[in-house]
Parts: sequence; structure tokens; C-alpha cells
Amino acid sequence: MKLSVRQIVISGLLGAISIVLGVTRLGFIGPFPGVLAVSATILHIPAILGGILEGPVVGLLVGLIFGISSWLQAPSEAPPANLWFSNPFVAILPRLFVGVAAAYIYMLLRKSNEWLALVSASVVGTLTNTVLVVGALILFGYVPAAVIIPAVLPNAIAEVVVSVVIVLAVVAAWKGLSIGKNKGSTV
Amino acid sequence: MEDLELMRHITIGQYLPTGSAVHRLDPRTKLIGIGLLILSIITISSVGGLMALLVVIIGLVLLARVPLGFALGGLRPALPVLIIIAILQLLFGWGASADLVCPDLWSFWIFKITGCSILTVIAMLLRLVALILLTGMLTMTSTISELTHGIEKLLRPLQKIGFPSHELAMVFTIALRFVPTLAEELEKLLKAQVARGADIRLGANPIQRIRHFLPVLIPLFLTTLRRGELLIEAMEARGYTGSVGRSHYVQLQMTAKDGLALLLVFGLVVGLIFIPFIVLDAKFLLLLAQLTGQ
Repeated sequence: MKLSVRQIVISGLLGAISIVLGVTRLGFIGPFPGVLAVSATILHIPAILGGILEGPVVGLLVGLIFGISSWLQAPSEAPPANLWFSNPFVAILPRLFVGVAAAYIYMLLRKSNEWLALVSASVVGTLTNTVLVVGALILFGYVPAAVIIPAVLPNAIAEVVVSVVIVLAVVAAWKGLSIGKNKGSTV
Repeated sequence: MEDLELMRHITIGQYLPTGSAVHRLDPRTKLIGIGLLILSIITISSVGGLMALLVVIIGLVLLARVPLGFALGGLRPALPVLIIIAILQLLFGWGASADLVCPDLWSFWIFKITGCSILTVIAMLLRLVALILLTGMLTMTSTISELTHGIEKLLRPLQKIGFPSHELAMVFTIALRFVPTLAEELEKLLKAQVARGADIRLGANPIQRIRHFLPVLIPLFLTTLRRGELLIEAMEARGYTGSVGRSHYVQLQMTAKDGLALLLVFGLVVGLIFIPFIVLDAKFLLLLAQLTGQ
């Protein structure tokens, strides 16, 4: 296996965005009222974008960087995240699949409809993150399913909405697709 | 506006060239040594053991001639969170110990503070300080490029089975290299939006916060992608072809000192894991029990 310069550079830069948003805590959109302190995040969005723009390998690499930084950051997170994410099987492993899933969904649907492909890729990518992380938590017996699933639901919905908006806006601007009333913008 | 000084709080990759013995070690030695010490942080569960470990780590920091206050700088932004975790953990008494007898100190309604919950909180704080010092040490005593050479060399045997170790090292280097650059970029974008009345503080109305954050995030992604195109062009123009036929300007050389350092760290870690420091914890609990008259 050999990586191209493009794959190396884009993976590194998108990974850097994930690290910066995590370290500055700007990437956490905060728990919604009445929810356990499991913070909704946008840190997985670089992995989705990597998968969509450059394919599954870049998606995997960005996910890897996201996972490692989330694992290393875990000790300074608020509880219960600090206890859960200190486990690399919760912090790193699920994140490897985020960009890969998004990439394959996008490749599958792109031929029929670009917009549908983008929306589905960001929804599937986000849910991959949520479902696999929550699944790992339940599997390790950290928290009973009956507690975590209703607690995580509002955050999952918020994450899906935010990631669809960001992915659409970024990909449309980057690829020069026409979007919205003004038929997109050029950057 | 003080919240926006993001650059100050990021402690990844602050190289401090003091030229100490630790600085001069081979990066592979440092990576393996720190890996072993992190393993011992995870393995050791007694407060006594963690204290001994922290003493060892502080010794290493001093050996590297890194000012302790500087090494602990990364803790300051986490302080409020740390205090909240400590209080929560204290109140809900997570982590009862199976081997120790826990004297009850105080209880009210569902809250209960026992000797063991105090020990758990202390252990957690010690672990955090130890981890922050260790990760800080790694980046203060070795430049990012040294570390990447080290990682590449450590992973090189895997290249025989087709694993792109050189490329992976390059991805990590680029990611780490661009963290400060992107933080600066983010700071600029945030200031521009805050000047226009955006409210992106944590704890603000989440929906509002996301709406105000979008005009920061989208340009961040786009400028980063554009930066990527420039970097790709620059690397291709200089004939970057990955690991194939690539020689290294830096030739890493393990010396006797590296062997000695590894042996020392290995010995310390094994010692710390197998010396029964848990006895100290038990003594502490006994003392507490006597003090509270149980």
C-alpha cells in the first residue's frame, strides 16, 4: 500500500482541525438541557469530509488522528467522558470507521444524486461515530443501554443536523456546486 | 476577548532547547520510555504507587532542565474542570476498593464520602498531573521532527509487510505541525465574528452558539483545504515520493546512554508496579478511621 502526496497532506490537515477543535474545546457543542453530560461534538466532521473529498483511506487516517487526540485528551474531559474515553477501544477504534463509512456511502450514491450522496454520507458518518461509541460503552459495561440511549438521542440528532449543514456548505463551496437561493458562493 | 487567546493554551509541541541529557537521547528511547511510563500510570492503582511514580516523573522533568511551572502550564485551563471532577467524584463515591476497608466520613441523602473516595480522587489527580507532565516532557525535550523520525524508525520493520510507516509518520507530522497554524487561523476567524456580535462561549444557548459558530467553521475548513492544495503543490514540486529511494538527513544512532536510559526506566516501572504501595493506602485509611473514631 502506498499513500499519495494528496492523501498524506489532506489527512494531516483535516486531522489538525480535529485536534485544534478538541484542544480548544470549541468542537463540543455542549449537552442539551436535561441530558447526561455526554457532550455533542463536531470533531468527527473532518473525518467525514476527508472520506467524501479524498476517499476511504483519508477518512480512515483523519479518524485515526481524531481518535488518538480524543484518547490523549480524555483525562482532562468532564466526567463521565474522562473515564469512558481513557479506554482506547472507546476512543480510537470506533472513530476509524467514521470517514470510511461516509466515503463508501458517498461513492455509492454520487452517481444518482450528488446532494443525496452528501447528506447521506454525513448522516451515516455521524451515526457511525455515535452508534459505535455508544455500542462500545454498552459492550464494556460502562453504562446500561436503557440509560445511555435516551440520554444520547437529543445529542445525536443535533450532531446529525450540524454535520449535514457543515458538510453541505464546505463541499458545495469547495467543489463549486450550486446551493440555496443564491446558487452558492465562490471562494 | 481573553477567551479567544487560543494560542496560549495549546501546549502541543513546545520544544524547550535546554540541551540536557534527556534532550540528547535518541527519540526512539524517549518514545519507548514514555510509553512504558504511561503504561505504569494505567497499571498502578494505589495512591502510594502513583505518588512514587510522580516523584520519578518530576525527577525526569528536572533532569531535562524543564522548569516545573512551565511543564505544568497545560494544567491551568483544565483547573475548573478538574475541581468539578474532584467534587463530583468525591460526592458520588465512584470506585470503591475491594482490597481496602473504607471508613465512612460523611454522608447526606445520596451523597457519601468515604476514605476510599478520597483516595480515588487523589489517585485521579495524580494520574492527570503525571500524564500531563509526561506528554509535556516528550514534546519539550524532542522536536516534532525528531519524534516523527523516531516513530518512522520504530514502525520500519512493518514496512516489509507493506505498511506505509513513512507515509503515516508524514501524516502525523503534518497534523501536529499545523495545529498552531490552524489555532491562529481559528483565533482570527473567531475575533472577526465576535467583533460582529457572535456569542460562541460554552454555556451559551447551544442552538445560538452553533449558528454563530458556522461562519467560523466553514471558512476554517475551506482555508485549510486551500492550504492543503498549496502544500501538495510544494511537496510535488520538490519531488516528494514517499519512502521510495529516500535517504535521511538525520541518521538516528542508539548509543550506550540510550541503552542505559531504557534499562533504568524499565527497572523503575517494574519496581513501581511490583512494590506493594497499596500498604501505604491501607495505612492512610486506618489513620483516617482512627481519627474519626471508627
